[in-house]
Amino acid sequence: MLWQQLINGLALGSTYALIALGYTMVYGIIQLINFAHGEIFMAGAFFAFLMVMVLKVNIFIALILAMAFCMLLGIFIEFVAYRRLRNSSRLSALISAIGVSIFLSTLALLVFGADAKGFPDGIFPNGQLQLGSVSISFLQILIFVVSGFLMLTLQFIVHRTKIGKAMRATSQDYNTAALMGVNVNMVISFTFALGSMLAAAGGVLVGVYFNAVSFNMGLLVGLKAFAAAVLGGIGSIPGAMLGGILLGVTEVFTVTVGFSSYRDAIAFAVLVLVLLFRPSGLLGQKIQKKV
Amino acid sequence: MKKLIIISLLLGLVMMTWAGYGLSKESDTLKIGFLGALTGDVAMYGQPTLAGMKMAASEINQAGGVLGKKIVIVEADNRGDKQEAATIVQRFISRDKVIAIVGDPTTGITKVAAPICERNKVILLSAGATGTGVVELGKYIFRDTLLDTVAVPALIDYFVSNAGFKKVAVITSDNNDYSVGLTQVFKNAIKGKDCTIVSDEKVKDGDKDFSAQITNIKAKNPDIIFFSGYYTEGSLIMKEARKQGMKINMFGGDGLYSPTLISLGGQAIEGSMVYVGFSPEQPTPETAKFIEKYKTANKGVIPGLFEAQGYDAVRILAEALQRAKSSQPAKFRDAVAKTKDYKGVSGTITFQANQEPLKSPVYLLEIKNGQFALKAKVPVK
Amino acid sequence: MGNFLQNVVNQIDPYVMQILVNIGIGIILALGLNVITGLAGQLSLGHAAFMSIGAFTGAILTIKLGMPFGVNLLCSGFMAALFSVLIGFPTLRLSGDYLAIATLGFAEILKVVFLNLDITNRALGLSVPPPYSSIPLPVYVLISVVLAVTALALMQESRFGRALKAIREDEIAAEAMGVNATRYKIQAFAIGSFYAGVGGCLYAHFIAYINPSDFGFLKSIDILNMVVLGGLGSIPGVILGASLLTTAPEFLGFMKQYRMLVYGIILIILMLFRPNGLLGGVSFKEMVLKIFRKRTQPSRA
Repeated sequence: MLWQQLINGLALGSTYALIALGYTMVYGIIQLINFAHGEIFMAGAFFAFLMVMVLKVNIFIALILAMAFCMLLGIFIEFVAYRRLRNSSRLSALISAIGVSIFLSTLALLVFGADAKGFPDGIFPNGQLQLGSVSISFLQILIFVVSGFLMLTLQFIVHRTKIGKAMRATSQDYNTAALMGVNVNMVISFTFALGSMLAAAGGVLVGVYFNAVSFNMGLLVGLKAFAAAVLGGIGSIPGAMLGGILLGVTEVFTVTVGFSSYRDAIAFAVLVLVLLFRPSGLLGQKIQKKV
Repeated sequence: MKKLIIISLLLGLVMMTWAGYGLSKESDTLKIGFLGALTGDVAMYGQPTLAGMKMAASEINQAGGVLGKKIVIVEADNRGDKQEAATIVQRFISRDKVIAIVGDPTTGITKVAAPICERNKVILLSAGATGTGVVELGKYIFRDTLLDTVAVPALIDYFVSNAGFKKVAVITSDNNDYSVGLTQVFKNAIKGKDCTIVSDEKVKDGDKDFSAQITNIKAKNPDIIFFSGYYTEGSLIMKEARKQGMKINMFGGDGLYSPTLISLGGQAIEGSMVYVGFSPEQPTPETAKFIEKYKTANKGVIPGLFEAQGYDAVRILAEALQRAKSSQPAKFRDAVAKTKDYKGVSGTITFQANQEPLKSPVYLLEIKNGQFALKAKVPVK
Repeated sequence: MGNFLQNVVNQIDPYVMQILVNIGIGIILALGLNVITGLAGQLSLGHAAFMSIGAFTGAILTIKLGMPFGVNLLCSGFMAALFSVLIGFPTLRLSGDYLAIATLGFAEILKVVFLNLDITNRALGLSVPPPYSSIPLPVYVLISVVLAVTALALMQESRFGRALKAIREDEIAAEAMGVNATRYKIQAFAIGSFYAGVGGCLYAHFIAYINPSDFGFLKSIDILNMVVLGGLGSIPGVILGASLLTTAPEFLGFMKQYRMLVYGIILIILMLFRPNGLLGGVSFKEMVLKIFRKRTQPSRA
């Protein structure tokens, strides 16, 4: 049973990691807690759901379409709601993000209703891997692999490509980067596009995995993913993965030992404890105080 | 200066809308307030309740109204927010001059509304609150739901003697007042019966991942799962149980009873059972008529429990008005309290001396071939 | 006295009264957060947690002990402040967004704990009887608001207030100038939480039924919106923000289910065009003085 629970924890953790990756990347570049990230995740899930139910497309094609849709959505949101606020206080941007989040979730509620929607049975090959008493579904493996793959890809983009260099420059010093010829608007749009694509991928996979897509899924899962990103050290891409997995495994083992009612409390307690001993998260960079 | 203009504009807007409320005073109507959420996390209970209420009102009005007046449903959206609900109740009473308020489908907000209604002698008929300590809040507080304290002991007897269940796993949604209350009722009722609780797991409303709890339960090998929460989590729990290869079924209260339980649960929910005071599957003539009318009016949507209870609530009030021959608060209240064997679409309802509803019999429904099918009628003592 | 006040209160339309009391409670909560976020510059996403401590303390003191309401209010405020100090010691070392997530985490933990305690009656919540006092509740709200505003206005101009502003602008520079940043931050946290506790206690007795789930993340965000929308650090701004957001559902009511959609758009637009809030930078003292000068200056004919 312990091994099975470990698998459960890893699978749950991967879903957190999938969303935390997007959170952390946007934060890493423009230091904005993008509260609307969870809603983009929800929008991706609903878009794929519509594709599958109405146009009857294959789930993998729906996934790609949802990523494209959310990419545009992300760029649009950044352009409308955040761009003007880049030089204002960070709180203003945070409130604007909350406004976007309220808008999107209410829109989803109006369009799709309050009840959760499920993808049809058998949309995804429902096989299982049996290792002794432990069973792992293909979907669990896929989520794990996809989040690992995305983490590596992101790491590669940010650290090994030209646009990545521009992203890091923008994150270090916005004005200097602009002076040095970096097209910061383009870089930030790109960051949002990438982050939103990740959110969409996460939304579709999580929607299929938990078999429920609902207007409020963004807030509930988004909050945990945000916690995971901070736990790993917000801004750090491997940190988001680590934080997500750690949070997932902690939650599952809290349930295993019989404290299911304290599940969320323990998860956040771990977060707060880690922060006390490592104030910038597990893999986060030390905050440099400029004098 | 610019600031001043902005502020005065905003203030003007506030004033205008407040003033608007005072204007709509018609004496040839009887107003019933709808208290519930149309947006937000609990909108799935508010929306159907309102739909049921509106249907009842339009039927009554087509038949000539009550006491020569038309019934008007005054609606407002409380988003599931208590502060807003309190304001809305106050507005219904002092501005709209409603004669009664139907709602809220949740116990919590009903408890917020109850003291205000009691103070102002306005009937509050909750179409959904099943928790404890509701009607105790005042003489003007009623509800038309199936009470778990009545239904659960009868069901446990039925399960133990007919199905031979010995080991049960209990799952509670511990941020849901209905679920916590129902689990308490269940645990009290099972004491002394030939059946033990082998696993007691907690989930939360809004959770999507139940793998850890199901793995725990699987290790205890129970005969059945009792889940006291709502249908979204219920169907996801069964999905997870099937995923982990468990053959076990689930049963629970009318919080599970919704078409969404089946549409979301699919194959996994087959064989699971819910108990309700209302059965469209073996309908009374009243229920059958209601279902047909509702389907034609709503593009073939099959009504669920909340539609039925909202519908009944308005009907009960209208019937009491007829008997009272007046909407004067005290007379109206006494007439509602005397409701006896009212043949509602959500069950036959009698208000007892303590205002609690008695609905009998309890219908045990089983999900078969993607539909709720009647399994047994369990009489209530 | 009590009877007289009750009669005065009864003169006011109950619906308007309901809204006024809601505004009053909103102002107290928002002013509290304003001390933490507006003055000291520490982003807290868990203000509702301190409100819940006040609400449950107040409710339990009324239910179990029948404590007179005035004393009860103070106890609730102090209980919230006490918790904030206990939490503040370790967490206020964190900076910026890490502090924000720590406060959010604390709020979530507290909510789960309250959902599991018998004394808070778990998810079933507590029905709160009317307060033990002959003075009607709206009067308590009014007095609390007046005291809260006065105290904060005085605080802002004091040595303490200036120290907080120094920390907000530049913590390191402030410390270099001999300001003990940690101590001041904890004091600000405690004062803000005291306000939250008082607001929570008033809320509990006004709404008459409380439940741990009422004080979640969204409630904290609501209060934060009031502060930022009105104008961070500005007392008139916070009052305006609290009033507008509390009444927003009322005057957007005609939009029915589209209301929250519009609310979201309004938040975005306001931030885009007035990123420092409606009355950002407007000080209470200056505003009062301005009005006063206008009144006393003889109008030129």
